[in-house]
Amino acid sequence: MAFFEVQPPASAQMSGEAARLSRLFDVLFYPILFFVITGTFHIHFMLTAGDWDFWTDWKDRQWWPIVVPVMALMFPVITQYAMWKYFRLPIGATLCMLALWFGAMMNRVWGFEAWAAYPANFVWPSILIPGALILDAVLLLTKNWVLTAIFGASAYGLIFAAANLPVIMPFHLPVDYYGNLLSLADVQALHYIRTATPEYLRLVERGTLRTFGGEVAVKIPFFTMFVCMMSYYFWWWVAKVFSLAVFTVRKKDVPAIQKFVEPEQIHEVAA
Amino acid sequence: MANVASTREATMARAVPVTSLARWQYLVLGLAIVTVIEVFYRWWQGMFAFTKGLDSTHPDFWTYWMPLLYIELPGIFGAGAILWYWIWRTRDRNLDNLPPQVEFRRWVSFLMWLIVYAYALYWGASFYTEQDAAWHNVVIRDTSFTPSHITEFYMSYPVYIVFGVASWLWARTRLPAYSKGFSVPLTLAIIGPYMILPNVGLNEFGHAFWIMEELFVAPLHWGFVTLGWAGLCILGVLVQGVLRCSRLLAQMQESRAGLSVV
Repeated sequence: MAFFEVQPPASAQMSGEAARLSRLFDVLFYPILFFVITGTFHIHFMLTAGDWDFWTDWKDRQWWPIVVPVMALMFPVITQYAMWKYFRLPIGATLCMLALWFGAMMNRVWGFEAWAAYPANFVWPSILIPGALILDAVLLLTKNWVLTAIFGASAYGLIFAAANLPVIMPFHLPVDYYGNLLSLADVQALHYIRTATPEYLRLVERGTLRTFGGEVAVKIPFFTMFVCMMSYYFWWWVAKVFSLAVFTVRKKDVPAIQKFVEPEQIHEVAA
Repeated sequence: MANVASTREATMARAVPVTSLARWQYLVLGLAIVTVIEVFYRWWQGMFAFTKGLDSTHPDFWTYWMPLLYIELPGIFGAGAILWYWIWRTRDRNLDNLPPQVEFRRWVSFLMWLIVYAYALYWGASFYTEQDAAWHNVVIRDTSFTPSHITEFYMSYPVYIVFGVASWLWARTRLPAYSKGFSVPLTLAIIGPYMILPNVGLNEFGHAFWIMEELFVAPLHWGFVTLGWAGLCILGVLVQGVLRCSRLLAQMQESRAGLSVV
């Protein structure tokens, strides 16, 4: 069966020295990719979904399961595009989420906890790696980005709530706080004051979540699933821009550069 | 300064094993420089941010924090200017007939520059930027030059800018394709994060005059987000590198010198 045929890796067709040089390139490029993704993905994520990821009391049952996975989908899709299209490596999403986790944990420990004295169980980052594993696995198994958008992105959006449930559940236990029904996370928030803007001086969960309760909390992951599916299409389309390998070349320099690049990499501009 | 072309010719006369291709000592030096600077500032913050940095009108603030600002900006950009000048001054003026072995070694050096840039970018865009959230959620600012900002905006961002521009100049002056055309992904991967520093001007204007306070996901901060996206163009640099180095490996296998790299 073709699925089980093993193709010899390209390096097997090279001499030993050439294979070593090829791997040297890999050894050098992976740290570049890891640190650039950590820096850029983290700054993107912290300034779009940051508050939902920083604080336990913001990890509610309505917005947290929507905002965090949707905002965190962009970089995995773009990286998947490049790593799969050019190298058939199913590592894009996992690499991104691992990088994000590393960046977030480094600051939650050394910034929020060690420096600003927030307790670690108040500022832990959301768990995104299981969704990333599924996203990469679906792409690897289907070898088709459309099917990955439909099934992989759906599963990624759905699994966020389930993956984080064991961690968040204790903080959603009810507390009778001076006659008010609060969650443990709300009590944490009252004790670890953030700067006094309305967004922080409030109970994050309210309205139908406190009245309808359980069923609404189940509907939210399905909404996330839908949004992630649509987003995957969009980001896969946008990803072409980030993988462009072109050079803009003045007309008079085109003959000189042709020795060094592929023809489709040359974008001629007026002198 | 040593003439690059004559050095190249001299080294072509002897073949060395590919295992000594990478000048790892320079990579270690670059990473060490960045690590020492960044860790020093983290230590300084731990010692003096909450003891001497809460009141910008207090004399201690002008002893422990403002001098850092006055030293780091001219210091980092001054050192950067010297580095950039040295890279330009020692450029190879004859890139048309570069042997594949030499070009491959230069690709290795170029990737090492990018490693240092990426490492510095991690410290600036990830570590110290999110750390700023930790500061602003415990302290109401009374100045734009907070202990977190003096570290984040005016030290960590300039450090990665210096190495980013150095990487770009290195490619421009040592690699044939990059000297004859502008690499769109490389330029974007450097310019995008570079523009984050000017965007600080917009950010601080907003915080000072619109009193945004510290909701981290406020739209005022989304300039940083979009400029950070440009860093992902490093994927395009990866594709450029693989395309070119694949050709170089093929040429090296065919050449008389084989794969002995000089």
